[in-house]
Amino acid sequence: MISTTGDGRVLTLALFVVFIAITLGVTFWARANTRSADDFYAGGRAFSGVQNGVALAGDYMSAASFLGIAGLIALSGYDGFLYSIGFLVAWLLSLLLVEMMRNAGRFTMADVLSYRARSRPKVRTAAAVSTVTVSVFYLLAQMVGAGALVSLLLGIHAGDSFLGLSAEAAKTLTIVGVGIMMIFYVMFGGMKATTWVQIIKAVLLIVSTAVLTVLVLSRFGFNLSTMLGAAADASGSAGFLQPGGRYGQDVRGDTVRTVLNKLDFISLALALVLGTAGLPHIVGRFFTVPDARAARRSVNWAIGLVGVFYLMTLALGFGAAALVGQRAISEQDPAGNTAALQLAHELGSHLGGRLGGDLLLAFIGAVAFATILAVVSGLVLASSTSLAHDYFGHVLMLGRPRESQEVAVARISAFLIGSLAIMLAVVARNLNVAFLVALAFAMAASANLPAIVLSLFWKRFTATGALAGIYGGLGSSLVLVLLSPVVSGKVDPVTGQNLSLLPEGVDFQLFPLENPGLVSIPFGFLCAFAGSWLSKEKAEPQGYDELSVRSLTGLGSHRPA
Amino acid sequence: MAGGSAPRPRRGSERVGGHECSIIVGDRRFRLLKKRFRRLTSVLVVVFLGWYLAYIGLSAFARGFMARPVIGNVNVALVLGMLQFVSTFLLAWYYSRYARRRLDPLSAQIRQEVERRREAYARMMAERQLLEGWNAADETAGGGRR
Repeated sequence: MISTTGDGRVLTLALFVVFIAITLGVTFWARANTRSADDFYAGGRAFSGVQNGVALAGDYMSAASFLGIAGLIALSGYDGFLYSIGFLVAWLLSLLLVEMMRNAGRFTMADVLSYRARSRPKVRTAAAVSTVTVSVFYLLAQMVGAGALVSLLLGIHAGDSFLGLSAEAAKTLTIVGVGIMMIFYVMFGGMKATTWVQIIKAVLLIVSTAVLTVLVLSRFGFNLSTMLGAAADASGSAGFLQPGGRYGQDVRGDTVRTVLNKLDFISLALALVLGTAGLPHIVGRFFTVPDARAARRSVNWAIGLVGVFYLMTLALGFGAAALVGQRAISEQDPAGNTAALQLAHELGSHLGGRLGGDLLLAFIGAVAFATILAVVSGLVLASSTSLAHDYFGHVLMLGRPRESQEVAVARISAFLIGSLAIMLAVVARNLNVAFLVALAFAMAASANLPAIVLSLFWKRFTATGALAGIYGGLGSSLVLVLLSPVVSGKVDPVTGQNLSLLPEGVDFQLFPLENPGLVSIPFGFLCAFAGSWLSKEKAEPQGYDELSVRSLTGLGSHRPA
Repeated sequence: MAGGSAPRPRRGSERVGGHECSIIVGDRRFRLLKKRFRRLTSVLVVVFLGWYLAYIGLSAFARGFMARPVIGNVNVALVLGMLQFVSTFLLAWYYSRYARRRLDPLSAQIRQEVERRREAYARMMAERQLLEGWNAADETAGGGRR
């Protein structure tokens, strides 16, 4: 059991308060230095490639990957590592697109699409709809995760209380608190504050993960094979170090089920690898650097940091399986999200007794909170940017808003989206919404990626194609998830327990896969092609020429002041 | 940073004009830049997606092969997984090196030439204003096209 002592809790809170204090200071500084739309949306385009690279990594390494993957490896073995690989390889696609997008765009994905559809505000609307939808789903997963984390971290179980709070109240309070902080960062500090929060958090996360990794490896004489062996022995399952523990499981005597399991696994893998380049909070970060070369450098830095981080998840996950043990982990949280925290406690205790354990646990817990807080801020910023710049600026105001107006609208949007996310997360606080992260990736890959890639590379792409691609990809992934086993009709074959989001008895499951990517990504591309072929309008050749000249040479691209 | 020492347009969203655009699109160097970039991206996409999907396919369908031990408890699955990391780093490095050597110089040349054309145009306009007796003092001379 991890610490339930008062000292540990107070220490976690104290460290977290220090983080909040520092980031609030940064926010006030950013507020004083944010005047123009360039400042608010893109941090004045003045971040260096390295700074932005660290921030990109910070935006990307969510609590889901820090706590989630470590837990997944600890409980399911090798299959957790498949997430790490998909999340990393995906960055190559971003690397190939980042320079063109940086050169062509101003603040959002829609800026890039608009070359091909200059006169079509509908495309802007579609991009805003997709951006906000993807961001809100991702936000929801993170915020509900924050609520679950706090009750685990502070050791509040049902019926228990801390500072007079019940577990339920503590969850709600955490979600609201995290929500208020993220709204504050974004409303007041815009991209400048969000980026610095991201940088601080990324450094904290990487350093603490590295410390844990070294401590884990030191327990096994820095021998990877010994650690793996210990983890496999402790797990007691023969296939712990091979793929197949969780995804694409073979069901003996049921070929259909086996094939579906494998397709589901491939579907997830596709969504992970193709989703990153279409995630709004990642794309928005492409515009915060002075030019395309700095953008390339920042993605290279992100690849390096993200790669090292995900390699270390191996040590965290297998280390937790070996040193903490699966039973202790699943007792604390059946989903395994506390594995990294329990590992920290165990490593600290080994080094410095109870105090050491409490200290390290408190530190890692505070880092986990910082991680959640930073990621949700990035998401709120991305969606409010799109609402204000794409929808308000280009649709409602026909592309002629005053800059101050647009930034004011962005601040209000941050407040509205943030409040919406808080309310949804409070309502969903007891649901298992971890699938929303994979869903957000699938939606980004199905709706945003086709529009981005085709507008950059395909001469015949039209506004209708863009609309069809975005709505087709977004709609199909939403509908398929609604009809999938994650929402209804999934029952544990052994225990008969309900594993879906909706209560037992409700069953409208029609689509057999849990992740829609395998169908919705090709469907999104198909819609984009079909829309372009079938529409009567002609592709605008000048728009394409201008986009290719600008994206490849950087002529006319937006520069820092 | 971008384009090294190339002169660059000042801040703002100066659009590349239609006439300028058609000159650049027709430029041999631009066509070469575009061709190289497209070849590079398509090769890299095929390589990394192919290799990733091959790895995923093996994880889904060739479990026996993936379980084979290589050194101690390290099996094929783990080695291939680590190789995905290595290949990602290598491809990113290769892309950046290629871009630095074969793409950046071309785009810098194109930008410089546009800059020269803009300056020449501005000079010509200034001279014309002088000859035709306009009040050139208010206009910007050599400040690039607005």
